[in-house]
Amino acid sequence: MLFTSTDFSALDLPEHLSQVRHEVREFLHEERRQGSFRVHLGHGEFDAEFSRKVGSRGWIGVTWPKKYGGREASYLERFVITEELLAAAAPISAHWIADRQTGPSFLRFGTEAQRQKYLPAIAKGECYFAIGMSEPNSGSDLASVRTRADKVSGGWKLSGQKVWSSWAHKAHAMFVLCRTSPLAENKHEGLSQLIVDLPSPGVTIRPINFLNNEHHFNEVFFDEAFVPDEMVLGEIGQGWRQVTSELALERSGPERYMNTLPLFFALIDRLKTSPDRMARVTVGTLLARFASVRVMSLAIASEFSRETSPNLATEAALVKDIGTHFEREVTEAVKMLLDVTPGVDADDELERLVGEATIFAPISTIRGGTTQILRGIVAKRLEGGV
Amino acid sequence: MSDSTLLQDAVSRVFLDFYRNDRLNKARQEGWCTELWKALEQTGMTLVSVPESLGGSGGSVVEAAEILRLSGKYCAAVPLAETALLAGWALAAQGIALPQGPLAFGIVQGRDQLRVDRNDGAWEISGYVDPVPYARHASAVVLVARIGAGSKVICAPASTYRVHPHANLAGEARDRIVFDEDALDDWRVSDAESSVTVEQALQRGALARAVQMSGALERILEMTTEYARHRAQFGRPIIKFQAVQQELARLAGEAAIAKASAMAAAASVQANDRAEMAVAFAKIRAGEAAQAGASIAHQLHGAIGVTDEYLLHHSTLRLWAWRSEYGSEAVWADKLGRHALDRGSAKLWAEITGSVRDPR
Ligand SMILES: Cc1cc2nc3c(=O)[nH]c(=O)nc-3n(C[C@H](O)[C@H](O)[C@H](O)COP(=O)(O)OP(=O)(O)OC[C@H]3O[C@@H](n4cnc5c(N)ncnc54)[C@H](O)[C@@H]3O)c2cc1C
Repeated sequence: MLFTSTDFSALDLPEHLSQVRHEVREFLHEERRQGSFRVHLGHGEFDAEFSRKVGSRGWIGVTWPKKYGGREASYLERFVITEELLAAAAPISAHWIADRQTGPSFLRFGTEAQRQKYLPAIAKGECYFAIGMSEPNSGSDLASVRTRADKVSGGWKLSGQKVWSSWAHKAHAMFVLCRTSPLAENKHEGLSQLIVDLPSPGVTIRPINFLNNEHHFNEVFFDEAFVPDEMVLGEIGQGWRQVTSELALERSGPERYMNTLPLFFALIDRLKTSPDRMARVTVGTLLARFASVRVMSLAIASEFSRETSPNLATEAALVKDIGTHFEREVTEAVKMLLDVTPGVDADDELERLVGEATIFAPISTIRGGTTQILRGIVAKRLEGGV
Repeated sequence: MSDSTLLQDAVSRVFLDFYRNDRLNKARQEGWCTELWKALEQTGMTLVSVPESLGGSGGSVVEAAEILRLSGKYCAAVPLAETALLAGWALAAQGIALPQGPLAFGIVQGRDQLRVDRNDGAWEISGYVDPVPYARHASAVVLVARIGAGSKVICAPASTYRVHPHANLAGEARDRIVFDEDALDDWRVSDAESSVTVEQALQRGALARAVQMSGALERILEMTTEYARHRAQFGRPIIKFQAVQQELARLAGEAAIAKASAMAAAASVQANDRAEMAVAFAKIRAGEAAQAGASIAHQLHGAIGVTDEYLLHHSTLRLWAWRSEYGSEAVWADKLGRHALDRGSAKLWAEITGSVRDPR
C-alpha cells in the first residue's frame, strides 16, 4: 500500500526551522526591496550573483557534510529553504541543478578528489552544472542513449549528441550519460556517467530556443572529446543505477507543485476586494489541493531525514504527477475568475504572470519524467500487487 | 513490524470478519451491523481517544483516526466516529462520564428546530434534529447546539426521543430524531463555553468522514488493482493495457493524497494546531479524491462493478455519501476561501507554513 509506514502525525517541522524560514524570508524580502529580482514564472532566472548570495548564506548543499561546504542539516531544512525560495519565485536556476542533482551524486558515487574539486564551489553558489541525459532519439527511453565513450590511454573519447541540456551554455561542467560498452541484450547495462568540464575541446554547445525565443536549453555535441579517467563518476557500467538512484527526492520536492504559487498569491490579493462565492470556493479548493500535495512532499522529505533511502519512489512519482497538474489548475482558475489578458510584457503584474504561466505550462509535465511515464511506474508497482 | 502496523493488523482482522456480502447487505437493510459493534466493544476500540477516567479507552485522536480509516476501508456500518470522536469528545470536555453502549451524535443547525427550556427544576426538550447518524441503534444521543450566546451539550437517552429512520446512499442509518416536551435530568444539559462548539463538532465530523474516505479509497484501489490483474481481454490481463495503467495510477494518486491529508488533519486536531485549516484541506481533498477515485474504480471494473453481488458498491456508495456529510467540498472550500482572502497571501503563506512571526 502507499505510504504504508509513514507517520503523518510527525510532520511538524522542528521549531528551529521556523528560525531558518524567517531568515530566508527576510533575505528575500530585502533582495526584492532592493530590486535584485522580479517575480518570474517558468524556467526560473539564471542569476549567478543571486546564487552566490544564497550560497554565502549557507543555503546550498545544506544536507552535505561540512567538509564539503555543507552544513549537515536535515532534508527538512532543505525543504523549508526551497519552499521559501519558490514562494518568492527567486532566481535560483544557476545553482539549482548542482544543488539538487549533481551534489548528491558526487556524495554517493564521486571520488574524494571530485568532491573536493566541485562540492565546496557548488555550495558557495559559484559552480553550476548541466545534465546531459536526453538525446534526439532517447527521451523517455533513456537507457537507449547512443552517445559513446571509447577507452583510450588515460581516459575516454566521447562522441555523440545530447539535447535539451538546460543552461549548458552557462554551466561549468556537465554530467554525461553514455555507453561505455556496446548495446547488449540488457540495455541498462554498459552505461556510465562522465563529468565534462565546460567549455572543453571537442564539445560544441548550440542554443535551442524556447517557444518564446528565449535561450534556456541547448544541444551539445561531442566530437571525440577527451575525458580523463578521474572524471568518471562512480563505476564504469553502473550509469543506469546511478542516474535512477535518487529519483524519489528529485520527483517529490516543492519544485514539482510550487511553480505557479506566486500567481495563486497574486490571485488571492487581487480577489480580496470583492470575492463572490465562486471565487471563494475556487480559492479554497486550490488551497486544499496545494496543502495536500505539500503534505505528501513533506512526508517524503521527513522520511528521508530519518532513514537514508526509504522506498518511496511510487509516492514520489505521484507527487510529481499530481503536483504538476495542480500548477496548471491555478492558471486556469485565474482565467476563470478574472477578466485578464495574458501578456509577456503587460504592465499589470498579474497579467504578466498569467502570460508566463501559460507559455511555460507544458514543461513541468515533461521534464523529469513525463506524466505517462510516471503513471507507468506507478502501475508497474501495482502490477506486482498492492 | 512497527507498533502501528501491528495495531492495524489486529484492527483489520475484526473488520474483515464482517466484510462479506451477506453481512454487508444485512447491515444495509438494518442501517448498521450489530454483531460488528459487539465485537468492537469487546476490544475497547469503540472508545479510543476518550479519557479512561471518563469511561473511555484512552489514546489519541490519531489512534482513533487509524481505527476509523480501517473501518472506512472495510465498510463498517457502526457509530465508531460518533461514539468516540464526537459524542465521547463532547461529553468528556464537559467532564461527563460516557453512558454505556453505542452513542449517536447530532449537530443542531440549519433547518433543525430544538428548544430546551427550564421547567420546574428540570429541562424540557422539544423539536427535531436531522440527520443524527445511528440514532435508532444508540443508547443515547449527544447533541451540540448553539443556544443564546453559548453552546449547550445535551445527552438524551434513547427513551426520550422518537426516531424517523433514514439512510444515506449506502444504507447507513442517518435518522431524524424528535422530542415532544421530554424531560431531561439536570446533568444532561450543560453549558459549554468555548470547549465544545458547533464549529468544532463540524470539524471533527468532517475529519471523521475524510479519514473514512481515505480508507475506502485504499480499498477500491486494492479491488481495482486485483481486478485488473486478473480480468483478461484480448488475450491478456487488462492491467497490461496502458490506458488501464494510466487510470489505475491516477486512482493510486487519489488514494495516496486522501490518506496524507486526512491523517495529517487528525494530527492537527490532536495537537490543536491550525486544526480548522487542516480539516478543511482534508475534507475538500478527500472529497475530490472520492469522486475521482470512485469513478475510475467503476470504469475499470466494467459492468460487474455496478452489480449488487459484487462488493465494490459498498465502498463507492459510501464515498459518495461521506463526501457530502459534515459539509461538502464546496461548503468547506467556501469557508476556506473566505479565510484565505481575508488574510491575504503573505499572512496566509505564513499561516500554512507555520511561521508565527509577522510576515510582510
Ligand atoms: C524545459 C525542459 C528542460 C529539460 N532539461 C533537460 C536537461 O537539462 N537535461 C536532459 O537530459 N534533459 C532535459 N529535458 C528533457 C526531458 O528529460 C525529456 O523531454 C523527457 O525525458 C521526455 O523525453 P522526450 O521529450 O524525448 O519525449 P518522448 O520520450 O519522445 O515522449 C513523447 C510523448 O510520448 C510519451 N511516451 C513515451 N514513451 C511512452 C511510453 N512507454 N508509454 C506511454 N507514453 C510514452 C511521452 O509521455 C510523451 O507524451 C528537458 C525537458 C524540458 C521540457
